[in-house]
Amino acid sequence: MRHIDCKNYINLDCEKGLCALDKAMVPIDGEGSEGCGRFTAAEKCGRCTHFSEPDKHGIGTCRGMAKVNWAYATMNAVTCTAFKA
Amino acid sequence: MSTTAISLDEVLKTRGIVVPDVADPQDYKIPEPKESTQRLMEIYYRLKVTADMEAPYWYNRIWWENEGDVPVIRRAKAMAACLSHITPTILPYEKLVMGKAKNVRGAFPFPWVCASFFNAQANALMNEVDAPAESEADSVSVVGSGGGNVTKSYGNVISIAKKFGVRKEEIPVLVKTAKPWDGCSIEDVSAVYSAYTPEYPQEQRIMDAVICMFDSWAIPQGREVINYYMPLEYGFDRILELCDEKIAQVMGEAGTDGVLGMARGYYYIAMKEITKGLSAWCDNHARQAEYLASVETDPAFKANYQEIAKVMHNVAHKKPASFREALQITLCCHLGVVNEDPQSGLSIGRLGQVLQPYYEKEITDGTATDEDIIELLELYRIKITCIECFASAGVSGGVLSGNTFNNLSMGGQTYNGLTAVTPLEYLIIEAGMRNRTPQPTLSVLYDEKTPEDFLMKAASCTKLGLGYPAWMNNQTGMNFMLRNYAPEGMNLEDARAWCLGGCLESAPGCFQPLHYNGKVTMIPGGASPTCGTGVHFIALPKVLELVLTNGLDKRTGKQVYPPHDRKLETYEEMVDQWQKYLEVTIDVVNKVNNIQMDVWRVKNPPVVNSMLKPDCFQKGADIGMMGSRYNATINYESCGTITYINALASIKRNVYDEKRFTLAEMTDGMVNNFGFEPAYKTGVFSPDSRTSTADSPRYDKLFAACVNAPKYGNADNYVDSLLKAYEEYMFGCTRRFNSYYGKPLYMCQISVSTHGPQGFVTLASADGRLAGTTYSDGSLSAAAGTDKNGIYAIFESATVYDQSMEQNSQMNLKLHPTAVRGLNGTRKLLDIVRAYMRKGGFHVQFNVVDSKDLRKAQAKPESYRDLMVRVAGFTQYWCEIGKPIQDEVIYRTEYDA
Repeated sequence: MRHIDCKNYINLDCEKGLCALDKAMVPIDGEGSEGCGRFTAAEKCGRCTHFSEPDKHGIGTCRGMAKVNWAYATMNAVTCTAFKA
Repeated sequence: MSTTAISLDEVLKTRGIVVPDVADPQDYKIPEPKESTQRLMEIYYRLKVTADMEAPYWYNRIWWENEGDVPVIRRAKAMAACLSHITPTILPYEKLVMGKAKNVRGAFPFPWVCASFFNAQANALMNEVDAPAESEADSVSVVGSGGGNVTKSYGNVISIAKKFGVRKEEIPVLVKTAKPWDGCSIEDVSAVYSAYTPEYPQEQRIMDAVICMFDSWAIPQGREVINYYMPLEYGFDRILELCDEKIAQVMGEAGTDGVLGMARGYYYIAMKEITKGLSAWCDNHARQAEYLASVETDPAFKANYQEIAKVMHNVAHKKPASFREALQITLCCHLGVVNEDPQSGLSIGRLGQVLQPYYEKEITDGTATDEDIIELLELYRIKITCIECFASAGVSGGVLSGNTFNNLSMGGQTYNGLTAVTPLEYLIIEAGMRNRTPQPTLSVLYDEKTPEDFLMKAASCTKLGLGYPAWMNNQTGMNFMLRNYAPEGMNLEDARAWCLGGCLESAPGCFQPLHYNGKVTMIPGGASPTCGTGVHFIALPKVLELVLTNGLDKRTGKQVYPPHDRKLETYEEMVDQWQKYLEVTIDVVNKVNNIQMDVWRVKNPPVVNSMLKPDCFQKGADIGMMGSRYNATINYESCGTITYINALASIKRNVYDEKRFTLAEMTDGMVNNFGFEPAYKTGVFSPDSRTSTADSPRYDKLFAACVNAPKYGNADNYVDSLLKAYEEYMFGCTRRFNSYYGKPLYMCQISVSTHGPQGFVTLASADGRLAGTTYSDGSLSAAAGTDKNGIYAIFESATVYDQSMEQNSQMNLKLHPTAVRGLNGTRKLLDIVRAYMRKGGFHVQFNVVDSKDLRKAQAKPESYRDLMVRVAGFTQYWCEIGKPIQDEVIYRTEYDA
């Protein structure tokens, strides 16, 4: 339940984002990176039912599209037509 | 003006008299940027340049899943997947949306172009991933120096190319994505075939010596002007229909072209694929805006998101129906092109003329005010400033100084030969004055027909010290167009459509009829491929150094050129040998570059750009297959012109004419840096910094003679005649070599930032420049500190040859702010510009800054986050420029009141 995994997280850069709800900058790591009570899980490959067998780096298999391929758990899937939570 | 005069202000200040700011009460008081701009700039200043793997992942996946497909279609499918899977990022206060990547200053690697770095570093990168994290405090508090650049790794962020921060968890994805490209990237394949050229070893020696700055594959597109006509005239849904109509016409038909005729059908299928990708990219933003509106409680924010959703849904399908939609769709297409290759210098072109019909309708209908339009233009500046180029450290830093040169040109002439200045262009300048960002840099195509009040408006912007607008001579540019492109059928009307691609690369264009608001307007746009991807930055002084050292690089001990073993008994013999080495250089580098770019166009045909550029869609041919209207665009780039000319003058005077020293003595002085420490030891790259050694006295007389030799920029015919002879020789020389398009090269005379690294590898030169210091910048700027006779003397020196012979020339001038203060100062600045343009000068640009402030900023960069300077064709944040270039800018001669 980190900010970066929330649907209301807006990407800024490699160390922080913006909360869409209160418009404040939120860090990806460290203190203050935990999500709040309004946390809504973002669409990510790691949450998709078509994604399986991730290795220690989060790289696993995607079976959601016409051809089976690899994918990675932290990738945003908001644009993926096959995403299924 | 002179370099030594003390201004009245300075005199009064020393006597304790404070001069109130009453220089001219009529001078324009610039309003603050809009609130939306201010809030977004506050965010911008805190951002890190970031690369992520989302877009490369999707490109990679779809590319490999379509193995065996026709290359241009396979490429279009991969690019469409790349664009349509980028997470849409929409910030509060934004009205224009979309970005290169999901992060605001985002970019991504292109392993299909260059994978060797990632594959060679795979283990090292993975070790960084597996290494224990730093303390939490470190992970959240370490800030890299240099503005937004991530110059070193920290916490969960890995620095790549000393610029991009990559999240640690994405490094395994980077390594996995890069792996399949090992041996089949553009870099790798072109290296295999380049090795077949008999001169390849010579080319490698030249590259290793940094006589040539970089390979063509590094940034295969850009330095050209985009064309927004297709989406503005038709919209994406109609383009899809046009593709279907064309497919029905040409599929299976070769026509009369047995080589490329059949390929037309594949081209239109590819265009259909990429258009669907662009449309989906827009639709994704519409959906994200709808989501944000759904969770937003503030009515103003909510309404803004709803408007974004409406705009993005419209531009995803229809041709634009408002100024905002038109601006948004140009931004979409611009980002689409810069995302298909590592790229710099994709210029926006004459946007104020392209969008004038939309602006006119808004104002006439009362649906928008000038202030509404200015706000959009301010926000547009942020969007363009956020465009980053993911390239190697050498290219990103050493060449580009982190800039991507999205140049916006104004002025020039219309299709009918009248002034092309539009009311919208006044607002573009106004937005640039209010929201001061490096991009888009602005350029004025100065023409005698340009309205005086527009020129004054532009001059009032230039004097703010932002480095823009720069000033280019429209007639000189048109003359170059007709000279260079007449063999391809360029007429006067098309010549009038030219403007700047990249920072200063004159690029051909054409006018096309836009139907909007019940009228037909001929709008200009680019009509060519890259006007820059040729021989990249030949270090002219280094070549001269190697003539004197018989081809041996004394810095590295490597034999770069075959020994010439000539005695160089006359000045003419020395210059002749320099020409021989130069021609060897152009020949071998050009051949290798031709192979690199040929491999690129075969394996990675540009698809977004090929949908936009006339006459690709009419011909059914992509840019690589010469679908563009004009293709004689590939150039040879030079660096260090005036350092070279001044060095020639010194040798001619001191060795050959007055025989004060032998050539051997001169060479010995250069090799031993006239007895001083070289800059790469002292770390100070300014030409005025000299650290003596025990050997210094031995070279005193020689060094003094070199420093006091005639210098360009003082209206001294002794040295200016050498410049003239050089330019006339180069005109014939470059045209003896052909590009991969089978067209002759021409010369591009910009230095960008290459005068830093190429100066770094060059020994002392005969003009008194010390080893490792920067060369003179541009092509017609005086060497720093050597112009003693005032600005008009530089103009005399610079116009000893016809500047319309080549793609450009470049002159940077530095003015003290007091020199242009008030309305009279604006007029004075315009008089300076006009004087140069009327003499046939092609380009002049200004830093209006006090060198004392630059020194303070160098000492304390964190206090000058928003300070910008003009380098050599572009404006950049001071804190994001490397030290050698900072030193050079500080040392440029400063003209005061």
